Amino acid sequence: MRGLLLACILTPLIGAFLLPLIGRRSEKARNAFALAFVLAALVGSCAFLPTVLAGNGVSVQATLPLGLSFGFKADALAVFMAVTSTLVASVIVVYSFGYIKEYGNQNEYYMMVVLFIGAMMGLVYTTNLVFIYLFWEISSLCCWRLIGFYREEITIVRANKAFLVTVLGALIMLVGFIGIWGQTGTFDMEAMRGVHVPAWAVVCIFFGILSKSATFPLHSWLPDAGVAPSPVTSLLHAAVLVKIGVYAYARLFDVTFAIDPAFTTIVPVIAAVSALISAGCAMKATDLKRVVAYSTISQLAFILLGVSSGTAVGLAGGMLYILAHSVAKGGLFLCAGVVEHNLHTKDMAKMGGLITRFPVTAAAFLLCAFSVMGVPPFSGYYAKSMVITGAVDAGHLWIAGVFVLGAFMTVFYLMRAFFKVFLGPQTNPQAREKEPVMVASVLFLGVLALALGLFINLPAELAGKIAEVMA
Amino acid sequence: MTALTAFLNTGAVFLLCLVVLPILAGLAVWLLKKRYAAQLTAALLAGAANLLFALALFFGGADVRIPFAGFGFDLHFLVSGLSAAVLLVAAAVTLPVVLYSVSYFKGSKQGGLYLLFYFVSIGFVNGAITADALEILAAFWEGLLGCMTVMLLAGSVTKPRAALKMLWICAVSDLLFMFGVIVTIHVSGQTQLSAIERLPVAGEGALGCVLLLLGAMGKAGVMPFYSWIPTAAEDGPTPFLAAFPGSLGSILGGYLLLRVVTKVYAVAPGSAVSVFLLAVGAATLLLAGMMALHQKNLKRLLAYAAIGQAGTLFLGVGTGLAAGAAGGLFQMINHAAVTSGLFILAGAVELKMGTTDLDHIGGLGKKAPVLGSCYLLSGLSMIGFPGFAGFFSKELLFGAALEAGVGWFVAAMIGVFLTAVLFFKVGASLFFGPLKLPSGQRNVRRTNAGMIVSASALALFALLPGVFGGWVQRMFVEPALNLGESFAGWPKSALLVILLLAALALAALDFALGRKKAGSALKCADHLTNLPLVKPLLAAADAGKLDPYNGLVSAVDGFSAVCQKIEDGVSWFYDKGVPGAVSGLGGALHRIVNGSLTRYLVMAIAGVAFILLIYLVVML
Repeated sequence: MRGLLLACILTPLIGAFLLPLIGRRSEKARNAFALAFVLAALVGSCAFLPTVLAGNGVSVQATLPLGLSFGFKADALAVFMAVTSTLVASVIVVYSFGYIKEYGNQNEYYMMVVLFIGAMMGLVYTTNLVFIYLFWEISSLCCWRLIGFYREEITIVRANKAFLVTVLGALIMLVGFIGIWGQTGTFDMEAMRGVHVPAWAVVCIFFGILSKSATFPLHSWLPDAGVAPSPVTSLLHAAVLVKIGVYAYARLFDVTFAIDPAFTTIVPVIAAVSALISAGCAMKATDLKRVVAYSTISQLAFILLGVSSGTAVGLAGGMLYILAHSVAKGGLFLCAGVVEHNLHTKDMAKMGGLITRFPVTAAAFLLCAFSVMGVPPFSGYYAKSMVITGAVDAGHLWIAGVFVLGAFMTVFYLMRAFFKVFLGPQTNPQAREKEPVMVASVLFLGVLALALGLFINLPAELAGKIAEVMA
Repeated sequence: MTALTAFLNTGAVFLLCLVVLPILAGLAVWLLKKRYAAQLTAALLAGAANLLFALALFFGGADVRIPFAGFGFDLHFLVSGLSAAVLLVAAAVTLPVVLYSVSYFKGSKQGGLYLLFYFVSIGFVNGAITADALEILAAFWEGLLGCMTVMLLAGSVTKPRAALKMLWICAVSDLLFMFGVIVTIHVSGQTQLSAIERLPVAGEGALGCVLLLLGAMGKAGVMPFYSWIPTAAEDGPTPFLAAFPGSLGSILGGYLLLRVVTKVYAVAPGSAVSVFLLAVGAATLLLAGMMALHQKNLKRLLAYAAIGQAGTLFLGVGTGLAAGAAGGLFQMINHAAVTSGLFILAGAVELKMGTTDLDHIGGLGKKAPVLGSCYLLSGLSMIGFPGFAGFFSKELLFGAALEAGVGWFVAAMIGVFLTAVLFFKVGASLFFGPLKLPSGQRNVRRTNAGMIVSASALALFALLPGVFGGWVQRMFVEPALNLGESFAGWPKSALLVILLLAALALAALDFALGRKKAGSALKCADHLTNLPLVKPLLAAADAGKLDPYNGLVSAVDGFSAVCQKIEDGVSWFYDKGVPGAVSGLGGALHRIVNGSLTRYLVMAIAGVAFILLIYLVVML
C-alpha cells in the first residue's frame, strides 16, 4: 500500500513531463496518457477507501538532511480530497479532448493539467508543512500558465494577477509555517497534533488560505480568471484549486493544531461577508462565466463556514460540500463552456431560448444548479444543511441566518442565469451541441450530482470518519 | 388490509412503496407518452396503489427506521394520528387529479415530463407527511420545489415567468423552513418530530417556531407568499393548479401548521405567534377575497379564491384553540377537494370554450350540465352552505376565531360574504343566462371523459364529508389530533349558524342588487370593488405594488448594486491601486537613482549613519 501511495502522487507528477514528448509523436496517445495518469491517481486513491473507512491509514516516512523529513499519509481526510479532485479532474480531461483540440499549446495544456493534479495529490497526502508549501506553489505555477493559455494580452494580465495574489498569500503563509517551526522545531504535522499555535501564525496561514480559496477580499483574481478555457476554469476555479485553501484549513486547524477559539467566530464572519458580497455580484453579472465564478466564491464561504465552525457536523458538512460543489460547479463551468464554444460569447444578453438547441446541456445545467442551490435530493442539500447546522450548534445563530440568505441568493442568481441562457425567445437558431464528448461529460456530472445525493450515505460515512478525528 | 400494513412496516418496503413506487410509476407514464391508454392505466394503477397504501397505513400505522447518512439524516417514518389522516387525504385527492392530468396532456409533447415530475412529487409528498426525522422531512419538503419548477416549465416552456416567480418565492419560504428545522433541532436536542412535545415559544424557540410557520405559509400559499399562484394560473398548465395550490400545497401547508401549533410548539391562545397567524389568515382572506371579485379571468379568479381559503385555515388554527385545530383539519380536506375540483372545472371550461376570460364566455349550464352541477356542489361547500363539508369546518374555525376576538370573527364573516358573492357571480355569468361563445367559435367543444369524471369525483368528495360530518369528525379528525374533546355533530352554537346564514343571505342580496345595478352578473361586485378604500387598494394590487415578489426583486437588485460597488472598489485596488503604487515607487526610485556619484555618496553615508544610530540605540 505504501508503493501505491507514492504511485498516486508520482504518476501524475512525473507523467506530466512525459506528455509533451508523447504529444510530439501522437496527439491521441498524449490525450490517452493524460487521462491514464489522472485515472491512476483516482483508482489508487479509491483503493485506500476500505482502509480509511476501517479507521486505519497508510503512511510513508523518510528523513532528509538538515533536520527535514519527508512524509505522506493516506487518512480519511486526504483520501476524501484525493478521490474528489481526481474524479472531477478525470471528467474535465475527457471534456478537454473536445474543447482544446482546435487550439495550439496542447502539449503544455495537458502537461500543466496533469502536473496540477500531481501537485494536488502531493498536497493532500503530505504530512509536512514545507511540502504543503512546495505543492501549493506548483499548483500556482500551473494555474498561471493555464489561465494565460490563449496568450492574449488580457489573459496574460489576468494570469499574472491570479499568480501574484496566490503567491503573495502563500509567502505570508510560509511565514506562519516558519513561526510554527520556531515554536515546535519541526515541520512534521504528525508530530504537532494538538499543539497550540500562536494567533499571528494562524493569521499568516489564513492569508494563504483566503487567497487560494478566493475569499473576500482576496478573491478578485477568480472572476477575472474566467478568460481561461472553460475546462481550466472548471478544474482550477470550481473543482480543485480553490478547494486547496479550505482543505488546508481543515487539515491544519481542525485535525492538526489547536487554535484560539476566537477564530471559530472570526472566520465564519469573514465567510459570511464573502458569501453575501459575491452572491450580490453574481446577480449583477452578465457574463455567464463570471456568474459561475462569483457563485464559486459564495459557495466556498459555505465550506469555510463548515470547516471553521468547530463542530463535527460542520466539518463533515464542509467535506460533503467540497464533494458536492466540485461535481456540480465543475459541471456548471463545463456547461458554460459548451455554450461558449458554440456561440463564441459569454454574454448572457446574447443568449436565450437555448434549451431547444442545447437540450442535454440545459438539463445538465439544471441538475448541477439544483445541487449548488441545495435542492433535495441533490448532494448539495445535505451539505448545505449540515454546515448551517454546524453554525447553529456553534452558537452562531445569526451567522447561520446570513448563510440562509446567501442560500436564497444562490437560487436567485443561478436560476436567473438558467432563464437568461436557456429559456425565453430563441436567439441562436443555428447553434447546436457539437462535441459529443463535451456533452456527455456535462451530463455525467449532472447525473453524478443527483446520484451523490441519492447515495449520500457513502460519502457521508467517510466524512463522518474525518469528523471523528476532529472530535 | 392488516397483511398490507405489516408488509409496509418491513423496513425499506415502506420507502419503496410510498416514495420509490410513485417515481417508478412516473417513469413508466413518461415512457408510455405515445400510448395514451397504457399511460392512463399505469397512472391510475399507481394512484390507486398509493391510495390503498395510505388506507392501510391509516388503519394500521407504521414505524419504520432505515439507517442512511447519519447527522440527523437517518430515515425514520412514523405514520399515526395526524400524519396518517393527512396521508389519506393527500392520496384520495391525488387520484382524481392524476386522472385529470393524464387526460389534459393527451397527445402533448411535454406532457410526459410533466407527469414524471408530478409522480415524483407525489412520492415526495408521501415522504414529507410520513417522515418523523426532521431533516428528512425538510429534504422531502424542499425537494418538491425542484419538481414544481420542472412541472411548471414542462407545462409552459414558452412562458417561464411563472416558474421563476414560484421558484424564488417558494425558495425563500423553504429556506426559512430549513433554518427552522435546524433551530428546532438545536432548541429541543431532538431530531425526531415525535420526540418533541410543545416546546416553549421563547428566545430561540420563538425563532424556530416562526420559521417553521413561514415554511407552512409558503407551501399553503398565503400572504406574503401567494403572488406566484395567480401568475401560474395565467401561464401554467391547469393540472399544476389542481395539483399544487389546489391540493398538495395546501395539504402540506395545513399539515405543518397543525403539527407546529398543536404538537411541536406550545402556541398559546392570545400569544404573539397566535396573533401573527390570525393576522396572516385575516389579511389573506380579505385581500384575496377582494382580488378574486376583481378578476375577469376564471383561472386567476379561482387562484385568489384558493389563496383566500388557505387564509381561512390559518385564521382558525392560528387561534391555538382545540376547535380551531379540529376545524383546520376538516377545512384542509374540504379545501383540497373543492379547490382542485374547481381548477379542474376551469380547465374543462378552457377546453370547451378556448378561453377562461369571463368577458367572452357564459351560459354553459345547458351545454355542460355535469360541469354546472360540479360547480354548484364545490361552490356551496366552499362558501360553507349548511350540510356541506365547508359548513362544518367553517363553523368550528369561526367559533374559534370568535373566542380569539370579535375582530377576527368579523374578518371571517366578511370573508364568507366575499366568497359567497364570488360564487354567485361566477355561477350566474358562467353557467346561467344565454350561451356566449368567444368570437370565431361556433359551438362548445367536447371535453374528454377523464376531466368530467375527475371533476365529479372531487365534487362528491366535497359533499360526502358534509353528509357524514359527524362520522368524519369522530373517525378522522378527533383521533388525528387527539384533542381530548369532541366537536362531532351539528354546531353547538345556534348564534354562529345564524350569523353564517345571515352573511350568506346578505351576499345573495348584494349579488342581486349589484347585478341589477350593473346590468350584468359579471359586474355584480363592481360596487364593492369601487368602495373608497378598496378601489385604490385594488389599483395598487393591479399595478403590482402589493406583490411582495416585486419588492423582493427590488431589494435583491438594490443589494446586488451595493455589492457591485464594493467589488468595483476591490477590483480597483488590485487592478489600478497596487500596479499604480508599484509603478509610482519604481518611478520614484528611478528618479533617485539617477547615476549621480554625489547622490550615491550621500545615500551611502546616510545609510551608514542610520545603521550606526540603530547600533547605538540597541547597545545603549
